[in-house]
Amino acid sequence: MEYEKAYVFQPEETRPIKRRRVESKGLQASWNSRREAYQTAWQERQEGLEACLDTINAATVDSIAILLDGASQDAQSSRIPTGIIVTDPSATLSSGILRQLSRREGSGDGRRVFVALPSSSGSNLKALLKALIQRATLRHADSEDETDEVQLTRRKGGRLLNYDLQLLCDHVKEHQIQQVVVAFEDTEAFDNDLLSELIELLGRWRDRIPFICLFSIATSIEFLQQRLSKAAIKCLNGRLFDAAPAGEVLEQVFQAATGKRSPLFLGPGLASMAIERQHDYIQSIDSFTDAAKYGYMSFYYANALSVFLRPDLDFKDVADDHFEALRTLDSSRSWARHSLANQETARVRDVLESNEHLFRLVRQKMADGREILGNMMTALTVIGVLQNGLPNTPVSLKSSLYIQAMSGKLAGSAMIRSLLLTIRRVPSDVATNLLKEVLSLDADISMPESCNELVNQLNELVQAQDDEKKPLRSEDDLKNSTLRTTVVAQKVELSKQKSALSKQDTAYTAILRGFTDVLEKYFTDTLINPKDLLFHEIFVYDLKSPYREVFTPRPRHAIERALASPHDYLDCDCCAPDQDERDEATLASTQPASAVLYQLYLESGSLINASDLWQAFHAVSGDDKDDEQTMSLFQRALAELRSLGMVKSTRKRVDHVAKVAWRGL
Amino acid sequence: MGLELLPDELMLILSQQWPCREQQLRQVSALFAVSPPALVIYGPTATAKSGITKAYLEASKLKYAYVRCRECVTGRHLLERTVAAVQQALSDDGSPTSQGRCETISALAALLQRLLAKEDKFILVFDDMDRQREAPPTLLPALARLGEFVRGLTTVLIVRYPSPRFLHQTGVPHLEFPAYNRAQSLHILAQEPLNIFLEPPLDDVNYDDEVHEEDKQWLWPRFCEAIWASLAQNAARDFTSFRDVCHKLWRPFVAPILKGDFGTRDFSRLLVAQRRLFQDESVLLHSIIATSETAVMKKVSHELPFYAKWLLIAAYLASYNPAKLDALYFMKSHERKRRKKGGGTAKSSMRPGQVRKISRHLLGASAFTLDRLLAILHAILPHDLRSTIDVYAQIATLTSLRLLVRGGIGGSDALEPGGKLRTGQAVTWEYAQSLARDADFGLLDYVAE
Repeated sequence: MEYEKAYVFQPEETRPIKRRRVESKGLQASWNSRREAYQTAWQERQEGLEACLDTINAATVDSIAILLDGASQDAQSSRIPTGIIVTDPSATLSSGILRQLSRREGSGDGRRVFVALPSSSGSNLKALLKALIQRATLRHADSEDETDEVQLTRRKGGRLLNYDLQLLCDHVKEHQIQQVVVAFEDTEAFDNDLLSELIELLGRWRDRIPFICLFSIATSIEFLQQRLSKAAIKCLNGRLFDAAPAGEVLEQVFQAATGKRSPLFLGPGLASMAIERQHDYIQSIDSFTDAAKYGYMSFYYANALSVFLRPDLDFKDVADDHFEALRTLDSSRSWARHSLANQETARVRDVLESNEHLFRLVRQKMADGREILGNMMTALTVIGVLQNGLPNTPVSLKSSLYIQAMSGKLAGSAMIRSLLLTIRRVPSDVATNLLKEVLSLDADISMPESCNELVNQLNELVQAQDDEKKPLRSEDDLKNSTLRTTVVAQKVELSKQKSALSKQDTAYTAILRGFTDVLEKYFTDTLINPKDLLFHEIFVYDLKSPYREVFTPRPRHAIERALASPHDYLDCDCCAPDQDERDEATLASTQPASAVLYQLYLESGSLINASDLWQAFHAVSGDDKDDEQTMSLFQRALAELRSLGMVKSTRKRVDHVAKVAWRGL
Repeated sequence: MGLELLPDELMLILSQQWPCREQQLRQVSALFAVSPPALVIYGPTATAKSGITKAYLEASKLKYAYVRCRECVTGRHLLERTVAAVQQALSDDGSPTSQGRCETISALAALLQRLLAKEDKFILVFDDMDRQREAPPTLLPALARLGEFVRGLTTVLIVRYPSPRFLHQTGVPHLEFPAYNRAQSLHILAQEPLNIFLEPPLDDVNYDDEVHEEDKQWLWPRFCEAIWASLAQNAARDFTSFRDVCHKLWRPFVAPILKGDFGTRDFSRLLVAQRRLFQDESVLLHSIIATSETAVMKKVSHELPFYAKWLLIAAYLASYNPAKLDALYFMKSHERKRRKKGGGTAKSSMRPGQVRKISRHLLGASAFTLDRLLAILHAILPHDLRSTIDVYAQIATLTSLRLLVRGGIGGSDALEPGGKLRTGQAVTWEYAQSLARDADFGLLDYVAE
């Protein structure tokens, strides 16, 4: 061992054969089919999401493309044409616009080179130029294979340094490139001087290389201007573009992720957590799609019942255990209880005894449940349309409506009630539009007949009206009631008085009331609590803990807890806290040295005398060992704390260490 | 060796091309004729130093190489480009020939000796020599002495302001290009008047190009004179910025003529009507976006998410509050009673403080540790914060947006134990206040004054 640098493990016996469970049993049997189901389901979602992401900033991308096309015409201007895209802070993390642009360029005629330059490509001018030249020349070489002749002239020209823009200049000449678009993805992250120098240099080459710059900035144009040098600013001739705000992007992506036709519905808890995280922190939109994807994965992979989500499922493919699992679901138990109360014993008995019956029931109930949820989504659209059509009504976000609806809180909520009350008050011109829009929505709303009737009545009424200019007013309209003040015994009394209504107005009021009644019934019918559906556990996924554990871990808290109360992790007998005194921080010599030292560290101030610390440590854990051993433990523990970033040596006092990290932050 | 001056006709053409520079042109011509080993041409920006040198060399059929130092990224880059330029000048068809590496200044001398062995006269021009990046300290003196090693070589260094003895050598001829004075600037600018009408006026048939030409010849110099007197004389003295200002203001200036309010020769009335233009100094500032566009553009900036705002507010407080007052402002326990420590003597309290107090938020941001930031964040948040990895990721993102920057001595790494951060340039008092308003937080109660 002493002369070897590394110890090579050479087993004397042959390796024991690992006993692996090759064939899966029980609920695991459906694993493969579940994975396939996941793949098809997510594939579909992902396509929808990608299509959505591509269209989000289409307008901005179009206007930038116009800038690029225009810039190639006035090539002789000495200032670099520049597009400055003001994006949301989170958008800098994903660079969606630039990706869309470059994809569009890829389909172009190849006379335009698109170079994305992230701030990580170099910390000095040389490295940045190197990256720029490499990317600009490489990409083009891929699309067109270079002939040998070109190679020869380059050899003849002598080898240039790899950061010499002459390389790019030659390349531009050879391939007759009309534009070199340099896109700075995260402009803020560049060093001020470096960016200024680079821009100045590009500006000096502008007469030979047709540069165009694109900056995506997340703060403000003033901030960018402050950071650049005067000469660099002189080089740029910019135009401003605005990207879609993050909230809007999130709404659209959310809708794409929770579409009507999705096999799996995200539950309210999970959806609200993911949405909240997007609102609270600067997150790229990808993290939301990741959350949705992880939700799908953890449901399909971990929940054996997800096998029933396969549309092409056959009874014979399902193992018996799955049916047992189905019977234990909360919703099926309550269904059974409910059915027994309704004296449908035979049906319950069938389902409990025969798997085939159960299978049929599951298929049917799931189809029903999904349709009900789909109708609920339609109802949300109806609410959106109504809110949009009414003047002075705040339009609630689609995502918050979804979360409320999925948690079953929307039916009979204050929002719906005030919405219906507002509808009762609207004049006839608004009401006509509202009715029309609701009717034009979708065919699968269950209220068209009554609505059609109402529309006809309304139209007749409006046509019969003599004064075309003045819309009809309903009885509930505030304008139709006046306040009357009377003085009775030196007290002012206010009384509301309804002004007299014309005949048409009365009829109109009746129509509006009819309309709101229809709506109210519709909402109470469609906006049910998904938790009441039978087998909702299969098509609504609402488990928050996997998401929380994976996407928002607490590393600092975990380390602090492990050090402060190691028993939580080790679960050993030796340092279990006494049952009677529930004191967490009990020091014991049996605990790991680092944990002991950390607890001592917590008790001290911001500067710790190393000798005092050693004394304390010795008192705790040095009873039965010799001093040398304790000292080595102490030193190792201190080194560990240091590498964890908890202490550092300080110049203030030589024999002290400084406390750097406090607990609970 | 006789003086090979240019023929007079050529000189005349050149001096017409470069007005107000006859004297310098003659000096250049004389100096190139005697071909000293080194020549320094100096003068402020935009005084036709490079232009005249280049034009003269082109006209004179001398063999020369021209190197733009500002395009060279390193000193070595400059040397390689020099060799390439010399080779290109020597080869007959203008195509560059292959070369070896040229990494040091002595290698350059050797290469040039070999290359120029057959030439009796060669001129090597280094433009903007004083703005070379990463120039080794010996570069300038060495280049000035190149002519002593290589026979027939003249090194021309074009610089803005040579410091005394910057070549560590005496006897190098210096040629000055002084800045243009008022009359010269106006004379040069008057040669290229801008159009008054972008398209000929439709209603007047008699107004043809000739009249337009005459009108603009009349109006443009007067306009330039007014600009000089009002703005350029004090603030835009070099020729290019003077020209830029004139070009920027011309369109708004003649707008009333286009509208038909004034005739083309109503200069004095036009001047009075448009006097605002000459008083507004914002034209002197450069901006990336054309100013006309910014006026139209609405203020675009996106909002930060919830915790990003709070983090920035906490960072602002950490940067601008002294750490010793943290306990006073952020402790949640109600121990607000302040005990005066160590009673101040009468003398010290009477005398005004030795250090003049400057309001904290007018000073630069001071550095703080990560834990202090987090502690303040916990203290000011209206609810409890579950400190997940998102908070730490957020700090990293804000750092990449330069709203937080590494602080401390020498910009130490913030990830080191006890590493420090501070708020970025963009986080000003006004910005912090607007953030606090958005977050509904009374910033004023927490800022130490």
